[in-house]
Amino acid sequence: MQDTGKLGRKVLPYALVLPAILFLLIFTIYPLLDMVYMSFTDWKLVQPAKNFVGLHNYRYLFGRSDFWNALGNTFYYSVLTVISQFCAATLFAVWLRKNTRINSLVRTALFTPHIVALLSVAMVWSWLMNEDKGLLNMLLNLLGLPGLRWLNSAETAMTSLVIVSWWKSVGYYTVIIFSALQTIPTEIYEAADLDNAGRFSRFFRITFPMISPQAFLCLITMTIGSFKVFETIRVMTGGGPGKATYVLVYYIYMTAFQGQFKVCLACAAGVVLLFIVGLLTALYFMLLSRKVHYQ
Amino acid sequence: MAKIELRNVSKRFGNTVVLENLNLTIEDGQFAVLIGPSGCGKTTVLRTIAGIGPQSSGQVLMDDQDISDLPPGKRDLAMVFQNYAIYPTMSVRDNIEYGLKNRKVPAPTRNKLIAEISEIVGIAPYLDRKPAQLSGGQRQRVALARAMVKKPKVFLMDEPLSNLDAKLRSQMRVELIELHNHLKTTFVYVTHDQVEAMSMADRIILLNNGVIQQEANPREIYTNPCNKFTAQFIGAPQMNILPLPGSDMSFGFRPEKVTLTEQAPDAFLKKKARIITREMLGSETLYQLRFDKQSIMVKSLSDVFLPGTDVYFSLRKEDILLFKRDENRLYPQEDGYGQALAAAGRV
Repeated sequence: MQDTGKLGRKVLPYALVLPAILFLLIFTIYPLLDMVYMSFTDWKLVQPAKNFVGLHNYRYLFGRSDFWNALGNTFYYSVLTVISQFCAATLFAVWLRKNTRINSLVRTALFTPHIVALLSVAMVWSWLMNEDKGLLNMLLNLLGLPGLRWLNSAETAMTSLVIVSWWKSVGYYTVIIFSALQTIPTEIYEAADLDNAGRFSRFFRITFPMISPQAFLCLITMTIGSFKVFETIRVMTGGGPGKATYVLVYYIYMTAFQGQFKVCLACAAGVVLLFIVGLLTALYFMLLSRKVHYQ
Repeated sequence: MAKIELRNVSKRFGNTVVLENLNLTIEDGQFAVLIGPSGCGKTTVLRTIAGIGPQSSGQVLMDDQDISDLPPGKRDLAMVFQNYAIYPTMSVRDNIEYGLKNRKVPAPTRNKLIAEISEIVGIAPYLDRKPAQLSGGQRQRVALARAMVKKPKVFLMDEPLSNLDAKLRSQMRVELIELHNHLKTTFVYVTHDQVEAMSMADRIILLNNGVIQQEANPREIYTNPCNKFTAQFIGAPQMNILPLPGSDMSFGFRPEKVTLTEQAPDAFLKKKARIITREMLGSETLYQLRFDKQSIMVKSLSDVFLPGTDVYFSLRKEDILLFKRDENRLYPQEDGYGQALAAAGRV
């Protein structure tokens, strides 16, 4: 009896986490491994045969200029999104720091876009950014400025998408940083006043280090999120004009489910994406985690 | 070193008046302790001197210079906060160095100062640690070092020992007294602990509801309180205050001035009373006595009296303090003193 009791106690924890483990295995680990496996085959959706072809898919991908173009676009989009969101969220949070009634209203307003479905956001912004009948150009014209081409020009399309994602997410990150700011005790600033600290020194030596764990989390979430950009592109530009907004995930989608249904190639591109995101996260941890201050 | 002076200082938070027309002078080199019940405005006075949360009106002077409009960082004073307020993201060294850097003190001087001060307060081995890796007492020392390194003219301390355990507190108390003797700088120290006030102060400033009740050295404030509030605030257990028979005045006496005897003694004031409780404190014993529906506390060196028994308590004439109807002291040179004292003897 005692033995089974001991055994039961040893097994129980595993039994309790089993559902979660099973879920992970079936819906995350297995597809991931299968993706890696398929990237070494020549499988297409329209042809049942799967033959092992080694690194052929990767060689093919890296030989194609449209793949390099998608990679470049993705990086451009990510860098712009992460930097603009991170700086804006921090600035907004510091700006809205005082707990006045107006500030809490602004905070709520800023956060609202986060709860709207991305698809709806994309549709609304498509209309706002319409070159001929969009609200944005109308406002610009009202101010006596020439309208912009927004999504219709290769030069402005990507930046327009960055603006949409910025609008949708900045409030969310602002709230995270804001709540981090709220945890900083006021005496620390009083001590800094007595230490004759200037405004910049206060921010960079005291405020920012104090919110570094949340800032670090935001940075990683933003980076990963920006690499996964898809919906806005699918709805607003379809990768165009030309291939100006063709990003990696859109490339994967098009390769797998349009034209020749080359799932094997899409899988190889997926592995590349996985690799890049993993590398960036590791890089962040290596470079920044020592500077992050955990309480 | 500097003299601090507050002139007609008022402070309001919204509609709440914390200080009104407060005048206070703290002499150069003095160890001044601000004490009072919570909410009396003692911390507000300290913060007004520091310039954090400035006064609503009035002036703050340092060495006869008006510093009312100077920002805290330019006032040449340092403050030790109740919960230390050391910068948690900086190492101990950076914490101490920060104020010097902001004052553009050159690096060699900074390093010399840090080495010197950290040696004095005993944190030299921990300079490269983060505050989270230090004990409460060590953090207290870091806060002290951060204040000392600036070589300020005035030290402000806001209940700096209240977060330490009893043993460490009495140790730090001695160290602070030594530090003051060594630096000879003006100290302004806020506390609600009368033991700290009595043991450390050159001058005690007792506040209640934003009004200074009495300013004096510890001995004077204990033996010669100027009103009922001071008499009862300083001293534990507090002074016994009884109504004076046949008048609206009252009289008081310290619990340790009472003599207990089994037989009726020959004394100025003597009265039979019943012992209600007895608390053994070791070297002395506290008794609660009751007579005529009144109760008093007595601190005695004798522990032989038992609860439930009757004893005589007695007092000498000079140990009785008289208070007027407005709660201020009635001093021996004032009219009606002899009469009132005689009334007290007839209790």
